[in-house]
Amino acid sequence: MQTIYLLIVLAPLLGAVLAGVFGRQLDRTAAHWVTSLGVGISCLLSLYVFKHIVIDGAASFNGTVYTWMISDGVHFEIGFLIDKLSAMMMVVVSFVSLMVHIYTIGYMRDDPGYKRFFSYISLFTFAMLMLVMSNNFMQLFFGWEAVGLISYLLIGFWYKKETAIYANLKAFLVNRVGDFGFLLGIAAVLMYFGTLDYAQVFSNASILNDQTIDIIGGQSWSVATLICILLFIGAMGKSAQVPLHVWLPDSMEGPTPISALIHAATMVTAGIFMVARMSPLFELSETALTFVMVIGATTALFMGLLGLVQNDIKRVIAYSTLSQLGYMTVALGASAYAAGIFHLMTHAFFKALLFLAAGSVIIAMHHEQDMRKMGGLRKYMPITWFTSLMGSLALIGTPGFSGFFSKDSIIEAVGQSSLPGSTYAYVAVVLSVFVTALYTFRMYFLVFHGKERMDEHTRAHLRESPLVVTLPLIGLAIPSVVIGYFFVGSMAFGHFFGDAIFVLPQHDVLAKLSHEYHGPGAMMLHSILTLPFWLALSGVVTAWYLYIKRTDIPETLCRRWSFVYHIMLDKFGFDRFNEIFFAGGGRVLGKILWKVGDVFLIDMLVVNGSAYTMGWFSGMMRRIQTGYLYTYAFAMIIGLMALLAIFVL
Amino acid sequence: MNFEMPNFLLALPEIFVLGMACLLLLIDLFLKDQDRHLTYLFSLFTLVLVAVLTVYGYSGERQISFNGAYVADGMSQVLKLGVYFAVFVVFVYAKDYLRDRGIFKGEFYLLGLFGMLGMMIMISAHSLLTLYLGLELLSLSMYAMVAMQRDSARASEAAMKYFVLGAIASGMLLYGMSMIYGATGTLDLSGIASQAATADKTLMAFGLVFLLVGVAFKLGAVPFHMWLPDVYEGAPTAVTLYIGSAPKIAAFALLARLLGDGLINLHDQWQGILIILAVLSMAVGNIVAIAQTNLKRMLAYSTISHAGFLLLGILTGTRSGFSSSMFYALSYVLMALGGFGMIMLISRKGFEGDKLDDFKGLNKRSPWYAFMMLILMFSMAGVPPFLGFWAKLSVLEEVVASGMIWLAVVGVVFSIIGVFYYLRIIKLMYFDEPASEEELECSADMRLMISANALMVLGIGLFPGALMAACAAAFSTT
Amino acid sequence: MGIEKFIFYIFSVLLIASASMVITVRNPVKAALFLVLAFFASAVLWLLIKAEFLAIVLVLVYVGAVMVLFLFVVMMLDINIERMRAGFIRYLPLGILVALTMAGMLIWVVSGDGSAFNHSVLHGPSYSNTQALGLVLYTNYVYPFEIAAVILLVAIIAAITLTLRRRPNTKHQKPAEQIAVKRHDRVRMVKMKAEERK
Repeated sequence: MQTIYLLIVLAPLLGAVLAGVFGRQLDRTAAHWVTSLGVGISCLLSLYVFKHIVIDGAASFNGTVYTWMISDGVHFEIGFLIDKLSAMMMVVVSFVSLMVHIYTIGYMRDDPGYKRFFSYISLFTFAMLMLVMSNNFMQLFFGWEAVGLISYLLIGFWYKKETAIYANLKAFLVNRVGDFGFLLGIAAVLMYFGTLDYAQVFSNASILNDQTIDIIGGQSWSVATLICILLFIGAMGKSAQVPLHVWLPDSMEGPTPISALIHAATMVTAGIFMVARMSPLFELSETALTFVMVIGATTALFMGLLGLVQNDIKRVIAYSTLSQLGYMTVALGASAYAAGIFHLMTHAFFKALLFLAAGSVIIAMHHEQDMRKMGGLRKYMPITWFTSLMGSLALIGTPGFSGFFSKDSIIEAVGQSSLPGSTYAYVAVVLSVFVTALYTFRMYFLVFHGKERMDEHTRAHLRESPLVVTLPLIGLAIPSVVIGYFFVGSMAFGHFFGDAIFVLPQHDVLAKLSHEYHGPGAMMLHSILTLPFWLALSGVVTAWYLYIKRTDIPETLCRRWSFVYHIMLDKFGFDRFNEIFFAGGGRVLGKILWKVGDVFLIDMLVVNGSAYTMGWFSGMMRRIQTGYLYTYAFAMIIGLMALLAIFVL
Repeated sequence: MNFEMPNFLLALPEIFVLGMACLLLLIDLFLKDQDRHLTYLFSLFTLVLVAVLTVYGYSGERQISFNGAYVADGMSQVLKLGVYFAVFVVFVYAKDYLRDRGIFKGEFYLLGLFGMLGMMIMISAHSLLTLYLGLELLSLSMYAMVAMQRDSARASEAAMKYFVLGAIASGMLLYGMSMIYGATGTLDLSGIASQAATADKTLMAFGLVFLLVGVAFKLGAVPFHMWLPDVYEGAPTAVTLYIGSAPKIAAFALLARLLGDGLINLHDQWQGILIILAVLSMAVGNIVAIAQTNLKRMLAYSTISHAGFLLLGILTGTRSGFSSSMFYALSYVLMALGGFGMIMLISRKGFEGDKLDDFKGLNKRSPWYAFMMLILMFSMAGVPPFLGFWAKLSVLEEVVASGMIWLAVVGVVFSIIGVFYYLRIIKLMYFDEPASEEELECSADMRLMISANALMVLGIGLFPGALMAACAAAFSTT
Repeated sequence: MGIEKFIFYIFSVLLIASASMVITVRNPVKAALFLVLAFFASAVLWLLIKAEFLAIVLVLVYVGAVMVLFLFVVMMLDINIERMRAGFIRYLPLGILVALTMAGMLIWVVSGDGSAFNHSVLHGPSYSNTQALGLVLYTNYVYPFEIAAVILLVAIIAAITLTLRRRPNTKHQKPAEQIAVKRHDRVRMVKMKAEERK
């Protein structure tokens, strides 16, 4: 089996290397073939592993492939932990990646950076698989940073576009903040456990009980809380939770396929996956769980609201992604890890679908992304229209679609939670159902229905996208619709993940819910009696009324509520705050340090001073180095005598 | 008298090299100048065969023979293989260079093999006598090699300096050995180790200082380093390459045998000496290198600073300390081979590429070799993830582990100063305009070998585990 | 004071004196001769500790062979002594200081009752150390002995490498060709008409 695991990660890497390093020797077709083939192999093998581990119920694999180094008894290793959690993640990652590879062939057809793009996304697949398959913190961190790096490269893929450069810099900087916390968390783990291996850390997790640590200011913190919050700060950066979410909407500057792959389906969910993986640690600290839940709920509701005022089709989906990531985080905070991961999986499919469909629309519209200039696309692009509709229905949680099962179990789980802050979280997630339905169908109606607002030239060229684009749409639409139905029983309410996820009995909200669970059909029927269903329905109706029936109302609303509208356009001022406070403060601090530290201390005293000292020293040594034999011999004798004088006398 | 027949099979690699060298001596006599490459191929063949013999002839456990004069253990295996490899690379690099300068003679390869025999003897020595004889064999070969280019006044001057100073150093070493022998009454290293506790302290310390002065000279540690820049610069680059690479492994072996096997009980005394030597070497080597304009001279000072780092691991006196120094020695040799190899790569007939300015704009002339040089320079500077970083890290770790944090800080400070002159070369290669637009000309084996060499620095840097484990294993059995 | 100690001191003083003369006299031939004297003196010291083999070897090899060769070389080379000694007086005080310190240290270390050294046993008159050396040289010490032989071999190779050269412009005879030469190689018969006198 180990060979298979190795093959799964190395196949995309090989593809990336071939397409990237030997790009000059390969033509375009060869570049997309090697990379797609590599990812295809790892997708097939991932499915095989999924069958082996999940369906045949084989024991999970935990083994080391290579010991990188041993330092002070700490092993730095490359190893795989393949249990049901990672098997599922592997399938999601490699499948979505494969779809995106195929889609890219059509989407990037005329781009000069074609081979570079394929090399990047294959490399990303490698890094992401390393991340999810890791059995230790070091490899996790490696994957974590590698996906961050590739995300940075891909957001700035069109490096001649100024906004893209700004966006990738922003993504990089914000992720630094998160990664700093993450690294501190890993360091704390190493300090308290003396090992980086998951299995050893988790089996000894209980040693953290009642341990406290004094942090600056003399306050004593529970170590478990500290570690969990530090790790979660990493997750906040990667999974774009408030207030570290600001980079994700801007990341839409990158090409659409990577928005689908990296910024919707896989990389941004790394934080969710990581917290689920660390469940044995998070279970130790209710404070940390509450923190997670409140952050998640805030993200879910308020980022969804921002989606209402965006006009750029990709940005709407980006805010929707933020909101859905908030849902997953809430689930983690409520100890419903399984539900969070379940939502991660369904979301990966339908959100990738929505992004790719948006990309399909964008191609047809000649790279026009403003929804106000679209409309009535339904009859021009039937496949894109239908798959988008499926995706939207899944997103808002229509009973029967995959999003329904996962989202509903999260809402129910939060309702059951008894942690402090759970009431706030419950209200937030329920309200956000309405918001989700509203922005999703606002987008849907604006794009596919209503008046055709594009110019004549564009309209004349409107046609359905080629097969390489529509095929992945169909490929993703199928799981978006059905996968929830098949997995809700085992994943959310059953024991699908087995030992991979650990929940204390007193926190186990999903177990409580599972008593009331009587199969997916019953769940659908029951949902008609619940608030979320009616909220979603009213969201759809409202969207229909505002954007199809009475299109003048939104403008009136904007004028009447211009204050609120502007706050939302300003994204609650996060960006402005960061710019003024962090960026501005950083500049002021930098200037002071530059003037005092650099110019005066370093340049004048240290650099010039040390250069002078070095010059003097070298000059002196050069004078000693006369080139005469007897000088050298004499130096040796002097050295000998000095040593004798010191050590013998 | 009772005489035990020595186990000749144990010393098979040495015997084989000697036999092949003598055979080569005869063959070379009958070769015409245009067939001289046969000598070259024969030498390479010898090296490959002896490597095979060494690997398969080793039983896996420590064995002593020849009345305590010879030892085969894990350390000797790894170091010998390192030496073979280094000499192999030297031979390949040297071919074109020597041919261009009309000194492509059998003697270079012959003396190279005899010098290697000396190193092997040192590596496997288990008595003061064999250590000394091995060292003399090596030194004598090297003196002659430096002087080989007789038409060059610089080379003759360098050889003369090297010879006279080397003789003084050998005298001191021998004097120190005689003191140790006088105090303990034995030449055998394990005998010395067991006698050291009861022997006269002053006399032992006295002998120890002389001994270490001799070793410090061979290693090029300050203040016994002054020959080194002159000899490196004056000798033909092919010979500099030889002197600057494999003998460092032998010098490490000399220290490890003397201090680790023989005088480990005097650790308190020699630690202080080594600290002084190490700090001075790191300081002088790194600082003076900045002022150099000749790359060979700069690398000579860099060698001095690396010698300082090499001593850091040894001076801890622990097994892991010795193994970290061993890792350092092997890593350094790999980098030095590449560094001097690059000089030979860019030099042509009638042109020595040994000025820093000769590397200007190399990236424009040949991006691939500029990249190789970049790897080598970064590695020497100790930038992760290259090999040099792990080498520095492992010795510094050992120093910290033995509680001398100040010393580790000193090491780090000087290695940061050292980064300056390595990066300057990279700056010259990538940001300056080339002085000439000529294509690099050299044979395929040279190109292949130097690329492999630099990529090894990168590759082992990414996966240092195997080499580290080999070094650790070398000291776990003793 | 026994006769042995008397002889020891006489020859020790002689050894030190002649050794210092080696490095102080101006004439290199004289210096070489003083070196010979120093060898003799140390041979006597060997004899005193009953190492007759070493004493004889020292005289035979060093005095008989090495020094004679050395004298030849010194006499054949025309060395300008005065120029070589240019810095001698200037550095003399420093040199003397260093030498004295060194000597002081040596004396301090070696002095004392001598118990620091491992004394070897002095054997009786019937003991032949030539035989003893012969017994161990090719048995216990065969490995170092062979290495020493290799060193000598390398020394020969090195010496030949550094001195043997065919200068491209030298003129030398080839006897074989000289003997094998035929008349027509050297003499060309030209038939021509006698020229008319003008």
